[in-house]
Amino acid sequence: MNSNNQKIIINIDDRNYTNWKIDLKNKLKTLRSNNLEIDSKNIDLSCKDISEIIEIANHYDSKIIGFCSSSPKTIVSSQSLGYKSQFIIENSSQNTSEINKKNLTFAKTHFHQGTVRSGEYLESPGNLLILGDVNPGAKVSAEGNIIIWGKLLGIAHAGTNGNSKATISALQLRPVQLRIAKKIARGPKDKPKFGHAEQAKIDSEEIIISPLFTTQVDD
Amino acid sequence: MATDTRVILICSGKGGVGKTTLTANLGISLARQGLTTAVLDADFGLRNLDLLLGLENRIVYTAQEVLEEECRLDQALVKHKQESNLSLLPAGNPRMLDWLKPDDMKRIVDMLKEQFNYVLIDCPAGVEDGFKNAMAASQEAIVVTNPEVSAVRDADRVIGLLNTNSIKPVQLVLNRVRPKMMANQEMLSIEDVTDILALPLLGLVLEDEQVIVSTNRGEPLTLNSVNSPAAKCYLNIAKRLQGENIPLIDPLEESSGFGAKFRRLMQTKIF
Ligand SMILES: Nc1ncnc2c1ncn2[C@@H]1O[C@H](COP(=O)(O)OP(=O)(O)O)[C@@H](O)[C@H]1O
Ligand SMILES: [Mg+2]
Repeated sequence: MNSNNQKIIINIDDRNYTNWKIDLKNKLKTLRSNNLEIDSKNIDLSCKDISEIIEIANHYDSKIIGFCSSSPKTIVSSQSLGYKSQFIIENSSQNTSEINKKNLTFAKTHFHQGTVRSGEYLESPGNLLILGDVNPGAKVSAEGNIIIWGKLLGIAHAGTNGNSKATISALQLRPVQLRIAKKIARGPKDKPKFGHAEQAKIDSEEIIISPLFTTQVDD
Repeated sequence: MATDTRVILICSGKGGVGKTTLTANLGISLARQGLTTAVLDADFGLRNLDLLLGLENRIVYTAQEVLEEECRLDQALVKHKQESNLSLLPAGNPRMLDWLKPDDMKRIVDMLKEQFNYVLIDCPAGVEDGFKNAMAASQEAIVVTNPEVSAVRDADRVIGLLNTNSIKPVQLVLNRVRPKMMANQEMLSIEDVTDILALPLLGLVLEDEQVIVSTNRGEPLTLNSVNSPAAKCYLNIAKRLQGENIPLIDPLEESSGFGAKFRRLMQTKIF
């Protein structure tokens, strides 16, 4: 078995599932490493996809130690399955032009894993993705959107450059204070219902909080 | 010579939450289990570990003289009267704060490591130099807090700093738990606290008037009245530190009285 660190890159441009699995199998046939890192580029992989990749690797006597990707979804999936995960910031020219076409002013997403604790301050010139809670006394801000895979109990400010389209999403939205662009709102008094991710955004000049549907995150 | 000494920082952020009381009682409990234990008073500004242990009148030298090489370590160490496995290294005068560096703390702790199984460091409140010096010399930490919003907030701040300084493991002790108030939801619940702090809970310590009595006497509770509610808690914490699997007390169980039991029944129905 080859124990050197080997990086496999999955190429899936057309999101053709059968193809990427065959592609992966072919690569694994010749490798047999117990130290593989999968780079899934900008492809969104669910937990199920990742489990399948692990199974394929096991079948070919290989062991995967981690994933890297520029897709936050993939990172969240692999993190939640306990794999070492590295978020890669995408900056290929093709993507930038696409983003410009959509007329979005922010593209980069900063990824933070772990609880943001009282007195800590996290800031991003793009979007901010946090895997963990933002505790009371902590502050997070981003020029773009803020997505918190955890509880927001501190202060969050999205759209710091004045972008009033920015949103703040969290599994539990119970902030001390919310800011979007120049608007400020105090957090809701009552506890939100369990199991409902929520999103704050500006609607007719006011910050409103509503249940979050996953389709809203990426538009 | 002890080989794998555990150096534990006892800290909280906020003052008056029970760090010194825990340090003294944990010191006694560990010593009683046969473990050689040094308690180091790193709260140079508000030293009172000597007082709690009833050793104030026996202090000749302090950590300051040891660092200035005016005396040897064993001359400064004060052995406890009843528990000979326990020694106190007293804090020097408050002016030490002006010149003490993290490396000085490390030097002292390295000396202590040569002869003790446990080194417990009673940390000053706050997150400034006094705390940073003490942290520099520690491997693991116990964060003490009370079920109060401000204490939890400060504990959280400290935990962030401990994490970024690779102190591991960091465990939680929730002090001054009042079962009745918790049952009536007049106080933060255990879940409220652990939810925010996200630390393994090393133990709860019940609110106990005898703590205050024993403080004034200079005899930690664990020394004599092992039947007091808080003393039991301290003993359990010491055992858990040693890896024993002792279940946590259930504060709702502790608050007898029909009201609490009834409410608990209600709660279990809802969730
Ligand atoms: N479990 C407890 N029950 C009742 N009083 C307590 C308890 N723990 C601490 N205290 C009291 O709280 C005060 C502060 O405790 P101390 O250990 O000096 O805190 P710190 O070292 O964190 O400043 C003391 O008067 C002490 O007697
Ligand atoms: Mg103290």
